[in-house]
Amino acid sequence: MQPTSKPSEPGQGSADPRLRSRTFTSMGTVVSLAIPAAPGTAPQAAAEELEAAAAVVEQLFNRLDRTFSLYRPDSEASAMARGELALMDASADMRRLYVEATEWRTLTEGAFTAERPDGVVDLAGIVKAHAIREAGTSLLALGLKDWCLNAGGDVLVDGSPTPESTQPWLAGLVDPEDRTTLLTAFPLGNRGKHALATSGTSERGHHIWSAGLPAARDEGFRQVSVAAADIITADVLATAIMAGGARTLALATSRWDVDVLAVKNDGGLLATPGFRNLAAQNS
Amino acid sequence: MRLRAGISAALAAAAILVVGWQAGAQVTASNASTVTTSAAGTTGGTASGTGSTAAGATGSSTSGSSSGTGAGTGSTTGSSSGTGSSSTSTLGASAKAGGTYAGTAVETRFGTVQVQVTIKAGVITDVTALHLTDQEQRSVQISARAAPLLRSEVLSAQSANVQTIGGATYTSEAYLTSLQAALDAAHF
Repeated sequence: MQPTSKPSEPGQGSADPRLRSRTFTSMGTVVSLAIPAAPGTAPQAAAEELEAAAAVVEQLFNRLDRTFSLYRPDSEASAMARGELALMDASADMRRLYVEATEWRTLTEGAFTAERPDGVVDLAGIVKAHAIREAGTSLLALGLKDWCLNAGGDVLVDGSPTPESTQPWLAGLVDPEDRTTLLTAFPLGNRGKHALATSGTSERGHHIWSAGLPAARDEGFRQVSVAAADIITADVLATAIMAGGARTLALATSRWDVDVLAVKNDGGLLATPGFRNLAAQNS
Repeated sequence: MRLRAGISAALAAAAILVVGWQAGAQVTASNASTVTTSAAGTTGGTASGTGSTAAGATGSSTSGSSSGTGAGTGSTTGSSSGTGSSSTSTLGASAKAGGTYAGTAVETRFGTVQVQVTIKAGVITDVTALHLTDQEQRSVQISARAAPLLRSEVLSAQSANVQTIGGATYTSEAYLTSLQAALDAAHF
């Protein structure tokens, strides 16, 4: 196992000329797929591999968006919101994801919910993570070993940015105080954590409602990042901790194998050991 | 830290042992400072239950379940809970015997935990962790809780040194001015 962080070493990070990425817009955000060219791969072949993989991921995101988007009047989700379609008559995809979201509501003791205060089923809190999960499954099915998928700031990786090495993908985390700087970085792939999701508010003091649990202002968080083995767990728990505050944070770290970095409303940080400076620990 | 956690886990199991062994007699207390234990079990020679512990001084918390087999003579259902500052347990009249009892090894997310309790004259005199290691047989980091951290204590990073950027979901408009957009442009 090599050290998890070598920030100053050349040949890594974006300085690596072998790493290429493609982006597309879906679900109201931008999705980026980055793949390193395997050693000995011709540049043209590597580029075609990336284009083909990005096309598969884009189709998958768009297909799910057509079903689940509340911004599309012709979507199944919109029909349900208007009361024209009952959940029991909805597609298998819809029902399956609703069941999954409902299970998470129980597991997080109500902090995560798939229903808006007005009772409309809103799976927006889990749809993007579901799309990332499905895309990851597709990338593995395509035989890709090393890739990094970033959908609007939520990240799922496999392998390494340096093929056939144990070097983890290093994901920077935006500082909510200043979007142009990074608060820290987290090595993904180490200890089985391949997913990193972040929930936050762009404005201080914003209220997130969840099942009648308004987060108390003084214990509230401005941004919560969760690293987990899978993207659904990471995304759901980040949302739940934002909504449920310190109580849900304690629940999440005791019940799941996750690392959490929470930025409090006063700017202070709460972090599990995985977010401590690993380079300092190793030295 | 590890010692306190071990004691917490041990006492949780001990409380369960006491319940099973007590066989309906009155349970007075079973606690250590800063530790709250609770357990419930059905006796009849065997007691099992779930214990949750919280070390108040540092706020760490973990949950697990443990079960133990004791020399029970009755067949009742008992439960015990309470808080106190004593590290010993006072037992009822039917529990004046002594002995050493090993709890069942319990798998927790922190690894396998097994404790042994020694009772003399109705008082728990020793609690030993028989097994408290993780899969790699290293010392167990029993708590994964989130603790306050200074910004200087997290890994410092610049966008040039990372491969991707995580953050609260941005809109496609906000993406244009994001660090991720700069990275994607560099990787194009």
